Amino acid sequence: MAEPRFIKALRKKFKESPEERYTTFYTLGGWAQDPRKREFKEISDKIAKQRGIPMYNPTYGCSGVGLGQRTYMPYLISGTETYGMPEDVHFVNNAAMHQLWDDIRRTVIVGLDAANTIITKRLGKEVTPETINHYLEILNHALPGGAVVQEHMAEIHPALVEDSYVKIFTGDDELADRIDKRFLIDINKLFPKDQAEKLKKAIGKRTYQALRMPTIVGHLCDGGTMARWAAMQISMSMISAYKLMAGEAAVGEFAFAAKHAELIEMGTLTPWRRARGPNEPGGLSFGYLADMIQYNRVHPEDPCKYALEALACGAVIYDQYWFGSYMSGGVGFTQYATCVYTDDILDDYVYWGLDYVKKKYGGIAKIKPSMDIIKDVATAITDYSLSSYEQYPANMETHFGGSQRAAVAAAASGIGGSLATGNAQLGMGCWYLSQLLHKEWMGRLGFYGYDAQDGAGPCNLWSYRSDEGLPIELRGPNYPNYAMNVGHLSAYTGIVAAAHAARGDPWCVNPIIKVAFADPSLKFDWTYPRECFAKGVLREYMPAGRRDVVVPPR
Amino acid sequence: MSAYVSQLYPGTSRSSINRRKYMDPKTKYEKLRSISDEDLVRVLGHRKPGEAYKTVHPPLEEMKEPEDPIRRIVEPTSGTKAGDRIRFVQFTDSVYFSPMAPYVRTWAIYRRYRGLDPGVLSGRNPIEGRERDVEKVAKELIETEVFDPARTALRGYTVHGHALRLDENGMMFDAIRRYKFNKAKGVVEYVKDQLGVPLDKPVEVGKPLPEEELKKRTVQFRVDHIKFISDKPLLGWVHRIFELRSRSGFNPEGVKGI
Repeated sequence: MAEPRFIKALRKKFKESPEERYTTFYTLGGWAQDPRKREFKEISDKIAKQRGIPMYNPTYGCSGVGLGQRTYMPYLISGTETYGMPEDVHFVNNAAMHQLWDDIRRTVIVGLDAANTIITKRLGKEVTPETINHYLEILNHALPGGAVVQEHMAEIHPALVEDSYVKIFTGDDELADRIDKRFLIDINKLFPKDQAEKLKKAIGKRTYQALRMPTIVGHLCDGGTMARWAAMQISMSMISAYKLMAGEAAVGEFAFAAKHAELIEMGTLTPWRRARGPNEPGGLSFGYLADMIQYNRVHPEDPCKYALEALACGAVIYDQYWFGSYMSGGVGFTQYATCVYTDDILDDYVYWGLDYVKKKYGGIAKIKPSMDIIKDVATAITDYSLSSYEQYPANMETHFGGSQRAAVAAAASGIGGSLATGNAQLGMGCWYLSQLLHKEWMGRLGFYGYDAQDGAGPCNLWSYRSDEGLPIELRGPNYPNYAMNVGHLSAYTGIVAAAHAARGDPWCVNPIIKVAFADPSLKFDWTYPRECFAKGVLREYMPAGRRDVVVPPR
Repeated sequence: MSAYVSQLYPGTSRSSINRRKYMDPKTKYEKLRSISDEDLVRVLGHRKPGEAYKTVHPPLEEMKEPEDPIRRIVEPTSGTKAGDRIRFVQFTDSVYFSPMAPYVRTWAIYRRYRGLDPGVLSGRNPIEGRERDVEKVAKELIETEVFDPARTALRGYTVHGHALRLDENGMMFDAIRRYKFNKAKGVVEYVKDQLGVPLDKPVEVGKPLPEEELKKRTVQFRVDHIKFISDKPLLGWVHRIFELRSRSGFNPEGVKGI
């Protein structure tokens, strides 16, 4: 039998063999084992001296006993060769993780057809590919903060907003051929032929603008700002491009189209008790996030890795950003989240599941969903996953919290179910059964036993009726039963991704989202997210949102 | 109609049998060690030995409570009658054959005791209640077969360690080292209370059980002991629970013959 994928990382993390059950504690050097903590302490001491207020001090760690009484282990970013310390995958410390979320928050998509119809039908003006190119040139000036129409306006320094632009895409090959290539997200060039044909058929003759607002605006304002920013600049650019009277009634129609009728936001508004506007993580559905990830566009032959890349992004956005900071405050839930994208542990379980499904069912997406499939797949993969923790005590110590093990074993089970059937709802069934098996196996599970999250989960799994459930692709942190599911939503993204990739679908829930994030001009690399995170660990990732041009040099 | 008889827990394996036994209030836990009332108070860390219990209300007998049928049905616990404050004991159970596991201890508490509020997490099992009620239950849970000095621990916070490898003496990791193995005596001694406050003298909690003995007493399944999926009745029961929840969540009438 082949060596599990995680063994290499375990050998790097601990001096003992991964099978060894005994070790030593308390004499390992305390917090100073961790090079990041040494760096933090040195810098903090200087800051404290300058400001006259004390700062970071790791000797306060554990109830008066310093941190570091056990081995401080490095973490491998799964699917890469890069190791870092836990601090390197805290989302505040990792610039690639900043850009992951920034690229979502600063994006809105606005259909162009309503505005063009107003111009032609109401105002009797001509719209041609040439006028569209002209309009896009103006909007690429205005969207980052350039003024049009009115003289003597305060404009924004281009270096602050270098990541802001607009491109369009369409299913109409004839129109696409005549659009300036600088402004086109070219479906034919970016997607494999079969995927491109399906996408173009779904999008049809319609034309969409993918608008990227400046990252720095997302930092200074919020996700709800984006549609408004886009709408204002769209309206002003329309006025300029088509020589309209500023303030004529048609301009209001452009604004309405951009803010409402033709607007696709990345995240929906959250209810008052969560109190966030649109384009914030709480409103981002699993299907949308899975569609943003592009691994299956470039590598359609490997649905597992697509699921793992999507899942890693879910971990950062849902667990580290949303639950860890937006909802709970504080330093975030890094350890809760990183277990699914470090040390190749989940990767091992997922590929084991793929092999199991192929052997048992003759390939992927070959078998119709049934209760028996859930029982078989979830039981086999949960057995493999939990046994791996017990066979390799170093693996158990790596995932030292029950919530971590629960997330990983159930994620692998869910992805296995999705791969077997191509049905994400069934994949979710495997997730829930894995949790119930885990609870009885170990006599423990996650935070407060996961009774609410997973004990009750199967009860609303198969309901599509309003107030009772939803297709999993359309669920997200806003789904009532998922409001407290830390360590879960990342996997749900992977389960959705795996099901659709197993079927060979070019997208999971929305072809427009898929195409908008295929754009190679985006700052974050949506094909290889984990490699981006690894660059962030190495401090080699350059994000947008710089301020150096308007501040004194350090 | 005959009275309902609880089946407690399914399964035919030794671990399942132990779960049933520990949950069954008719079965008395086997006493393996003794801890004096004074030492128990010290290691819990809520009051000093001999100190009176702090109260949050007068004794119930002195209070004029509003009429309530539930008050007539349910007899208050000793701590409630006296007006004790709410305090806790919290256990951590190693994955390496600790006799108990958080869920099983909680189910056992529901079956065996009254007036307690247990919680289940992977690395800890908090049990809250009136102070004297907590002390009484803690004493039984520490002195008997459901506790092992090396693999079970009292931890108010900084609890992590349940999934870590063991130290050279087979002890579960504790970041703040509330206890240590006294090699000369062969016993485990608490040198700090469950919140990590140093004790003026150590509290002995007895000898660690040999691993073979732990394997006989544990409720845990492990791949290197009793495999969970080898207990077919238990596995079938989990599958059944899952299927019933799936099929009947918003459609209870859709499931027949339960």
